[in-house]
Amino acid sequence: MTAQTRLKRKDTQQTSSGLRKRKLVDFIATSVVTTGGIGIILSILAILVFIGIQSVPLFQGVKSELVSSFIIKESPELSSYSLDSPDKASFPFIATGVEEYREIGFIVTRDGIVTFLSLKDGKTIKKVPLTKLDGSKITSSFVSVNNKLYSFGTDDGFILPVRMNYKIDFVGDKRVITPKITEGDLFKLGDAPLIKIAYEESEEEGGSAAAAYTSGGELLFVTLVEPEDDFGDSEPEHLAYNFTEELHGNTVTAIELDQSLENLFVGTKNGKIYHWDLSDKKSPEFLRAIDATESPDTAITALAFLLGDRSLLVGDEAGNVSVWFEVPDKLSPTGDVLTRIHQLSPFELPVTNITASARDRGFIASDKGGNINLYHATSAQKLKELKADGSSIEKLTFAPKANGIVAIDKEGKMYNWSVDNPHPETNLKTLFGKVWYEGYQKPEYVWQSTGGTDEFEPKLSLTPLAFGTIKGAIYALFFAIPISIFGAICVSQFMHPSFRNTIKPVIETMAALPTVVLGFLAGLWLAPIIEKIIPAVFTVPIVLTIFTLISVFIWHYVPRGIKGRFKIGSELFLLLPVIILGILVSLWLNQPIESAMFGGDYKEWFYTVLGLQYDQRNSLIVGFVMGFAVIPIIFTISEDALSSVPKHLTAGSLALGANRWQTAMRVVLPTASPGISSAVMIGLGRAIGETMIVLMATGNTPILDWSIFNGFRALSANIAVEIPEAPEGGTLYRVLFLSALLLFFFTFFINTIAEIVRHRLRKKYGQL
Amino acid sequence: MNKFWKSGDLFVWLTGAALMFSLLMIAGLMYLILAKGLGFFWPSDVAELDLQNGSKLMGEIIAQEKVPSKGEGIPDEYRTQLKIGNRDLYGLDFRWVDDEEIESISYPKYAVVLERQEWGNMYGFIKEITENRQVISQGNEASWPVLESLMPVYAKIEAEIKAIEKGDIGGINRQIESYRLKIRGLELKGGDNQAQTQEYESKIKEEEEKYKVEEKKLSVLYKEFNKDKIVMVSVDGREKEMSIGNIVRAFRPNSMNWFQKASLYTSRAWGFVSEYPREANTEGGVFPAIFGTVLMVILMSIVVLPFGVLAALYLSEYAKQGTLVRFIRICVNNLAGVPSIVFGIFAVGFFIYGLGHTIDSFFYQEALPNPTFGTGGILWASLTLALLTVPVVIVATEEGLAAVPSEIRHGSIALGATKFETTWKIVIPSAMPSILTGLILAIARATGEVAPLMITGVVKLAPQLPVDGYFPYVHLERKFMHLGFHIYDVGFQSPNVEAAKPMVFTTALLLILIVIVLNLTAIIIRNRLKKKYTTSAV
Repeated sequence: MTAQTRLKRKDTQQTSSGLRKRKLVDFIATSVVTTGGIGIILSILAILVFIGIQSVPLFQGVKSELVSSFIIKESPELSSYSLDSPDKASFPFIATGVEEYREIGFIVTRDGIVTFLSLKDGKTIKKVPLTKLDGSKITSSFVSVNNKLYSFGTDDGFILPVRMNYKIDFVGDKRVITPKITEGDLFKLGDAPLIKIAYEESEEEGGSAAAAYTSGGELLFVTLVEPEDDFGDSEPEHLAYNFTEELHGNTVTAIELDQSLENLFVGTKNGKIYHWDLSDKKSPEFLRAIDATESPDTAITALAFLLGDRSLLVGDEAGNVSVWFEVPDKLSPTGDVLTRIHQLSPFELPVTNITASARDRGFIASDKGGNINLYHATSAQKLKELKADGSSIEKLTFAPKANGIVAIDKEGKMYNWSVDNPHPETNLKTLFGKVWYEGYQKPEYVWQSTGGTDEFEPKLSLTPLAFGTIKGAIYALFFAIPISIFGAICVSQFMHPSFRNTIKPVIETMAALPTVVLGFLAGLWLAPIIEKIIPAVFTVPIVLTIFTLISVFIWHYVPRGIKGRFKIGSELFLLLPVIILGILVSLWLNQPIESAMFGGDYKEWFYTVLGLQYDQRNSLIVGFVMGFAVIPIIFTISEDALSSVPKHLTAGSLALGANRWQTAMRVVLPTASPGISSAVMIGLGRAIGETMIVLMATGNTPILDWSIFNGFRALSANIAVEIPEAPEGGTLYRVLFLSALLLFFFTFFINTIAEIVRHRLRKKYGQL
Repeated sequence: MNKFWKSGDLFVWLTGAALMFSLLMIAGLMYLILAKGLGFFWPSDVAELDLQNGSKLMGEIIAQEKVPSKGEGIPDEYRTQLKIGNRDLYGLDFRWVDDEEIESISYPKYAVVLERQEWGNMYGFIKEITENRQVISQGNEASWPVLESLMPVYAKIEAEIKAIEKGDIGGINRQIESYRLKIRGLELKGGDNQAQTQEYESKIKEEEEKYKVEEKKLSVLYKEFNKDKIVMVSVDGREKEMSIGNIVRAFRPNSMNWFQKASLYTSRAWGFVSEYPREANTEGGVFPAIFGTVLMVILMSIVVLPFGVLAALYLSEYAKQGTLVRFIRICVNNLAGVPSIVFGIFAVGFFIYGLGHTIDSFFYQEALPNPTFGTGGILWASLTLALLTVPVVIVATEEGLAAVPSEIRHGSIALGATKFETTWKIVIPSAMPSILTGLILAIARATGEVAPLMITGVVKLAPQLPVDGYFPYVHLERKFMHLGFHIYDVGFQSPNVEAAKPMVFTTALLLILIVIVLNLTAIIIRNRLKKKYTTSAV
């Protein structure tokens, strides 16, 4: 073997191993690029999926499950109670409750013994007698909406308030709950047994009040008022009233007293609701009686306050459940009238209990046939139906966190349901429709996500925000479309290409101008200036048109020799001083116009004559500045469309004797119109998504008003303002994700259409 | 006339008017920002106003405006806005004075402007300078050279104090905190770690000893710092004593010539970009904001460039061209038009609450419940912007790839190169300018973007820069400051908007300049590129 051949072989070996290596590298590169490319594109698209997933739980229904049920009778301590008596009054269990972890519940019996039991299996944990009862029997009970204060009426005319407290300890990781009972001071109302009672303690002002209906048919009201100059030694004042007279002999079936101790509602057997105003403790006032059921034969069977104590929930013998609150009414002497706001989907049998949630505007109601419904008051919806074994639900309680329901039926069976209802207040209707909120005169679209108190109900209507977004975008386009499209026509058709090459980059660069700068200028510089010169702002277009007209006229008579020295289109630059002059003239006219037409003060004139309020940061400012922000986009894209219209078309038109305006309007514009409309759509997309300008240049008030002198709140600015305050996973958080999803879809949809249109146009140009 | 109407010239001119109007708006905007932004540093003269009621005012004349006439026949009145400064004496920085109340205006030679660490500007005259309560100079004439000679001394002391406070004491605190976290980590682990815990505790004690030493040094320096005091008299005769260390700059604009003013202008402009903000961001510089913006953009570029190019390569070189790819292309294109706030809220949900919380529960458990990555930070903000700008890079790169003539590719493959080699050595280098253009456009967009940042980690005042001398040097979890957010915050959230306005204009100018320069670079590169391909095609 010669050295040469050896060398050659080595070379081929090297090449083949090198080739293998190269192929391997190529293979790896291909797979990396492919998987990486697909991965990146998918992950970008996953943004949409993620945002969607975040907002889906808003529309998921309530999940509920029967965790446990047991017959109380089987518990050795409670088995002695007789359930056989047909008389409801002798049902042995007078009250029931549950603590916030839903591990321990309790039952109070007529003989004044509180039995804590495990909700898992009904085993007794602790038995505590109520010592202050001193042998008297319990005849009635009342639960305050915060689920902590229970009160019991006795057969000798006392009310005993009792607080249930739970001490929570951790032994290692295990939670140990120790129940504790605190008995309050006995409250004396009379001597007769109390059949129906209501008792509340005011947390803010101190003091307490009780109302009771006795077996003798008397309606009594007693209140303890804390002395005003409290030096600690004076006793609270004890004020007692008898309201029996106002009842006109009707039998009371339900009593409800609010926590601020200002309103007493009494439901009767003939379907009336009696309302007392207690705000002046010295002289409580009977306001009125209202027919609350369909016929006088239908008794009211349950009354309860919704969280916040403004809405009254009413259940009747016919199975109807309704929500009432006071609405301003001119005919009423007090200015307000109790009105039925929502009629909820009814039961077939009489309502036995209504209990409100301590968390939101939800509540539960039960009927004689063992049905329990979970409602949401504001959205007037039945969220969930639960079924017990079929006998009447006698006692019903809502867990403190509104995540469970405990009920006892007539057979002495106790049920323990879990409720998973994270977003009770949202559905398509509350998000987009009109909702009648507490304290409002009529159903309205409201966005008000946070309030001062715990009892505040978030009002999350996206309608005013979507409206604001559209309002801003429309005003912006109203300003931007004529200027940008006219500008594009001018540059592409009537000017020498050399101008195009300088003007276009300048305007394109403006597209990248940070919008925060524009927003700042709009809010802090432009808004105060515009406020002073509103009349001038509206005269500018007119004055400019007139001035342009005049300059065309003058130009018409300029000698040809001078005209010829101008490069095509450069004569239009002569308009620059004309426009400046026009603006100055408008400014100069500002004051004369204001005094001539608006009586010297346009704001007052707008207010008195047109009924318009002028906000300093308003839609006019936004329209102007956001218009300025979208002009470059619309300009660039439509200029592209216009200037790529094939030259032979325009040349043909001009050759046939059409002038340049006719050619532009009848040949170029129709051909390029899809491109221009896609430009407008892309501009619209940008105006819709713009955040900083609308955040800084409007007052961000979510109102529904087309007035150009009012501000608005847009979806995008709303997200920026509210997301830092929204707890993760909460309703507000998810609603904000939903609004982001809306924005995403809307802009994506618009842009896709615009893109497809442009695509078609490019093809069309290719064929022309 | 009819002919004139038919010629359509009127409409041509109307389109011209629209174009000129938009050009005028652009010019007006630039002029406004340049004038207001650049004028901020110029030391304007200090005027002394004698009012008719006998009182005196001193300050910079800011503006003059017409007061709306009270009725027919009454001549227009004017009023003048004066920046009177001396917030500690007057409470307000600005005052409007009706022109008819002004008796006379003069520009006293000795009027001194003091830029201070606290309370904003002071306008007044020097009464005396004291050292350890001994008067060392009195009156304007004598005290000015003394003040000028003392200023550099104090700048040096201040630098020393800063070095100790930020550097040494900051380091000690950081050490203590890290030992604490280690102890907490041991606790979480459970089991018997007594020995280690004690070791860390003793180390904490050591650091605390060091801290005491540094503190002593500091107190000596502070004593030094407060040695010399200056007593100023305002124009209405109120006296104010302050330590010279409190003064950032002192000048007498009324007795400065043009050259001196220009050099002061340069110094203030430099201070603006190199100093830290003072007085709730309404004074001082914007250095941390510039730093934060730049770092965020760099981090974003590191992410967006490879991913964007990879996706573009896949779309135009590797994927089978068909309806699906066309559809994907349109989608990617449209993502560039999706509102930035949507990306922001996505980042809040996915990065901060999703990834961030997971990272915290795995690696930073000892710091919980204080979130480390589970809150906004520069990493998340950069990633958000990367998502936001990746379509820009993809589109630009694809354009560049498409512009590479396929003959070149075919030639390369015909000569035996693999597809990867063709792409890597032939196609990408030719498309490089496009890729760069894409990156620059992405950077320009990211620089000006604010909305998604304000919910993913930008704060009005960050105590520390995200980069410092302590391991791991770049702290990706830290919150940061940003020029755009600075504008929003100072202009809309600050308690003293009027005083902060000039500062906001200057920041806006800076931001616009950065964005425009970046965009112009992109445009120039694009134009060169076009030329290159047109020549190579011939």
